[in-house]
Amino acid sequence: MQNGESRAGHAPLLEARGLSKNYGDTRALDGLDLTIAPGEVYCLLGPNGAGKTTTINLFLGFVAPSGGQALVSGLDVATHDRETKQRLAYIPEQVMLYRNLSGLENLEYFAALGGRGSLGRERLTEILVEAGLERDAVDRRVSEYSKGMRQKVGIAIAIAKEADALLLDEPTSGLDPKASNEFSALVERLRGRGVGVLMATHDLFRAKDTGTRVGIMRYGRLVTELSTDEIGHADLERIYLEHMHD
Amino acid sequence: MTARTVLRKEWRLLRADRALRIALGLFGVLLVYALANGVVWTRFQERNIESAQTQNVERAAGFAEELAHIEAGGEPASQFADPRSPFVMGGSSGSHTATLEPGPLSVLAVGQSDLLPYYYDVNIYTNESTLQQNGEVENPVNLMAGRFDLTFVVVYLLPLLVLALSFNVLSAERERGTLALTLSQPVRVRSIVAAKLAFRAMLAVGLVLAVAVVGLLATGGAGSPGRMLLWCGAVVAYALFWFALAAWVNTLRRTSAWNATVLVGAWLVLVVVLPAAINIAADLLHPLPSRVEMITVQREASNEAVNSRSELLARYLEDHPEMAEGVVADDPGFGALSWAATDAVNQQVEVVTAEHDARRAEQIRLVRRYRYLSPALLAQDVIIDAAGTGDARYAHFRDQVRVFAEEWREFFVPAILADEQMTASVLPQVPTYRAVEEDPGDAARRTAAPLTVLGGLVLLVGMGAGVGLGRVRGAD
Repeated sequence: MQNGESRAGHAPLLEARGLSKNYGDTRALDGLDLTIAPGEVYCLLGPNGAGKTTTINLFLGFVAPSGGQALVSGLDVATHDRETKQRLAYIPEQVMLYRNLSGLENLEYFAALGGRGSLGRERLTEILVEAGLERDAVDRRVSEYSKGMRQKVGIAIAIAKEADALLLDEPTSGLDPKASNEFSALVERLRGRGVGVLMATHDLFRAKDTGTRVGIMRYGRLVTELSTDEIGHADLERIYLEHMHD
Repeated sequence: MTARTVLRKEWRLLRADRALRIALGLFGVLLVYALANGVVWTRFQERNIESAQTQNVERAAGFAEELAHIEAGGEPASQFADPRSPFVMGGSSGSHTATLEPGPLSVLAVGQSDLLPYYYDVNIYTNESTLQQNGEVENPVNLMAGRFDLTFVVVYLLPLLVLALSFNVLSAERERGTLALTLSQPVRVRSIVAAKLAFRAMLAVGLVLAVAVVGLLATGGAGSPGRMLLWCGAVVAYALFWFALAAWVNTLRRTSAWNATVLVGAWLVLVVVLPAAINIAADLLHPLPSRVEMITVQREASNEAVNSRSELLARYLEDHPEMAEGVVADDPGFGALSWAATDAVNQQVEVVTAEHDARRAEQIRLVRRYRYLSPALLAQDVIIDAAGTGDARYAHFRDQVRVFAEEWREFFVPAILADEQMTASVLPQVPTYRAVEEDPGDAARRTAAPLTVLGGLVLLVGMGAGVGLGRVRGAD
């Protein structure tokens, strides 16, 4: 297993040390060890209930760990809630926004909450356009947006925040291939800026295409970790299915 | 920064939400209508008081004119209304009306002012029974239900507006899916909810206070800043209680529908059921004697007294030796005998009214003791007292009228007993009522306890909400 620090030559942005989470008697995450360096896109694969979303929730401080630590730039999420969130951006499977506000107003709100202050209309529009939203859509109410457009606003929020790390929870689920492709291109662009990405996904093709490393999870455990430049699409699918049939 | 950001976003959401704008507009209309009701009632009282004071002056001038006419050798206009008789000048036709000006903030709270008398015709016959009768003929339905004034809007409707604005302050974020994205930012959920509630509080409470202050300024009733401060303090504390309750219920992580049901239930219990139950308990445990009984006693005592006036006069003079001077013991005049009968009736009436007063005091004590169970009762108490339309200011007025009635009797009764005639020269010495307002600090002292308890409740529920909000996570 290669870790992100040695691969990218930087201190890990995201690190899980023996991270565990129990929900009652159910072990949702079992001693996860993981590091993600700047400029890395780490894709977590696995069936429903494998612990992918739990991992992301632990990095966001949305749930408290039952054991181990989730670290962001070396800071423990459990004790540095605000500092770690300052460094993170999050795009859920469904980016839910205020329907009665425009895309621009939503971005302005979340960017301000993210600590970017007031960016000004011009800059906010630029960011939305950079995220792939049509210029004439920025002032339309979000209630008129498609899921893909909302995802783009989600990306815009992440761009505006200038976060060090991006947490994506099945972000392309339900998107058409074109939108998925655009989304991947955006992630690639952020990666180029040194952003570290942790993406939970069911999409093997997208994982191979966008990710730099892939981790396969099952029953709350990371069962294998692969470098995407050392395997092909077919290899990834085969390895994945092998682990699912064990 | 977070607060300003949230306030701006909430303002945009409000502008985009037509239903919310209509609800706020409707509430504003109700506030103005309630204020108008308060103004109409206050103006009605002021007109009556002005008329009573004019009549006081006209009566005195009439007596002066007729006495001058008689002293110049003329005849009285009527043998039965001869102003030289102390029975006439000090009796019903010579009454002096003692008045209580409407409370300093009466346009904001009708309070007890439509139930308790704000003027009394004081004469030698004034007794405890007189002090319990209201000269106004008021619609009993109005008395039962209370007037639709600003206090009614604040106590009953403001909580509903507060709940409508905040029952889903957090649950809607969860249901809409925006909570996760919000809490992935470096913000505390407490700050977000506090800013959202602050925005709603500014809308709801700001609307009430704006209408109240503008109403007071427009009607010239803003001369009591201390009372105004108390009134505003009670409104703010009461509204904050409901906001805190809504915030706390939101931390229970249930659906918006569940929150709404629980909060409306709380409103029903705290605003409607508990106050009604306390009033019913007060009526059941300390029922007031019937007024019919009081009138019957007065009539019976009156009949009995007329038949034994001589005996009563002797007894009266024994009890009041200071009045004996000038009374011809063997042949007292008609006036002396009549007065003895009147005094006997008054004594009998006092026994019944004392019982009535004692029961009423018990009722008030019971309500005061249990008002701490309901924030609505606490707020209402403070609001009405601050407005000067509560029990206490009227009791203060009644006490002054009692003293004045005694002064009036002390002036006329010796003349009645001595069968003296009144002259124009005594007119300037006839007592006149001078109202003395209660000390401005009295209302503050009386309301300190309920206001403190209300503040304590806000703090308690607010802390509960704060603790609950501290446990809210983005994955809820």
